[in-house]
Amino acid sequence: MLTRRVVVCLDVSEGRVVKGTQFVELRDVGDPVELATRYEREGADEIVFLDISASAEGRATLLDVARRTAEELFIPLTIGGGIRSANDMGHALRAGADKVSINSAAVARPAVLSESADRFGSQCVVASIDAKWDAGWSAWRVYIKGGREPTSLDAVQWAQACVGHGAGEILLTSIDRDGARTGYDVELTEAVSAAVNVPVVASGGAGSAEHVCDVLQHGADAALLAGILHDRETTVADVKRVMRAAGLEVRS
Amino acid sequence: MRITIFDYGAGNLHSLAKALHTPSAEVVVQDDPVAALETDVLVLPGVGAFAAAAERLSPGREAVREALRAGLPAVGICLGMQLLFDASDEGGGAGLGLVAGRVRRLNAVRVPQIGWNLVEDTPKDSPFADSKLAMAYYANSYVCQPTDVSVVTAWSTHEGDRFPAAVRVNNTIGVQFHPEKSSAAGVRFLHACLDEVLRSSVGQ
Repeated sequence: MLTRRVVVCLDVSEGRVVKGTQFVELRDVGDPVELATRYEREGADEIVFLDISASAEGRATLLDVARRTAEELFIPLTIGGGIRSANDMGHALRAGADKVSINSAAVARPAVLSESADRFGSQCVVASIDAKWDAGWSAWRVYIKGGREPTSLDAVQWAQACVGHGAGEILLTSIDRDGARTGYDVELTEAVSAAVNVPVVASGGAGSAEHVCDVLQHGADAALLAGILHDRETTVADVKRVMRAAGLEVRS
Repeated sequence: MRITIFDYGAGNLHSLAKALHTPSAEVVVQDDPVAALETDVLVLPGVGAFAAAAERLSPGREAVREALRAGLPAVGICLGMQLLFDASDEGGGAGLGLVAGRVRRLNAVRVPQIGWNLVEDTPKDSPFADSKLAMAYYANSYVCQPTDVSVVTAWSTHEGDRFPAAVRVNNTIGVQFHPEKSSAAGVRFLHACLDEVLRSSVGQ
């Protein structure tokens, strides 16, 4: 039986881990290799590097960071941000990623998912979906370009389409909850998880270990954590302790 | 000692190369399957799709199979384990045929299997026991189905589908999970595998 995963996400810009909002007031919080390996020691099951570099040079730097990280990190590493094609994915995998997430490029051209899955296998193709509740629609709408641009896609249907195109995992971020620390969007996660037959990683809204347990008990295979760990409000070990007490299977 | 990773041109080999490294080992990455046999240990890594990897392997298929049959120490990881078999439902192309059997799709709702799973029924005297590896990282949609299950040395189960976690034939160990992604115990396991295949080849 698979254990429930705690995935730690680090925002990387120009080769450094940063914190901040909307590309402004970015604050340098450390070296990606050091932080990733620290989280491995604390018990993280996976690491995600989300590249938020504003420039092509910054993205090239990320591949170098991936290479250095892969030599030190012995848990899976997912890289996302700015991946446009199967070739981009190939570069990221060669550099040191175990999985690569694709977001806007898949909306623009869904075949990028199938081309990547054919070449590298579905298990390393992650469809990253940013979704926001649309009251008029009574459904979750997909956004692209870092959550800034709405699309005409329904998030649940889009998740199904991504899997149909070969995605082996869904990284599902709630724009409504992102950064709010009021808990994951459990309804969104449940709806997507029920609609697809690949693992779903819930993202956006973690404010406590209880929030993590809640979403894992409602369809998520894994929970993504960032801010509350980086701010040292809790630790991976503490989150896992609470998960275990809640009866969830956890890697010790 | 030389450890050679055969490169199918697909994925991340950095973690594996680093995990295999020891002060006494030179780790080489080689994309020519015949040249890859100039080694003390051959490693078939675990990233990519079966058909594409089988094609990269095809110019050296007979040579690699004969070397493994003759006792060259080898470790196959995930796809590298699957390539030890005859063929795969994932895609066309011939495997090495060192182990009789096929590679089939996991019989489960959630496929691929991505995450940490228990490794069960491990032998007492084995790299598993030496490394204390009880839980390992998997990322696979397909699993091996050997004709003769006596080659299986450990099992795992995904949604009720029990499949070989590890096989052993001659001096070749194949594992379905990723030891190089299974944290510190995984790295210890990899070294225990190297010790095991090298020790048994010396004993011949």
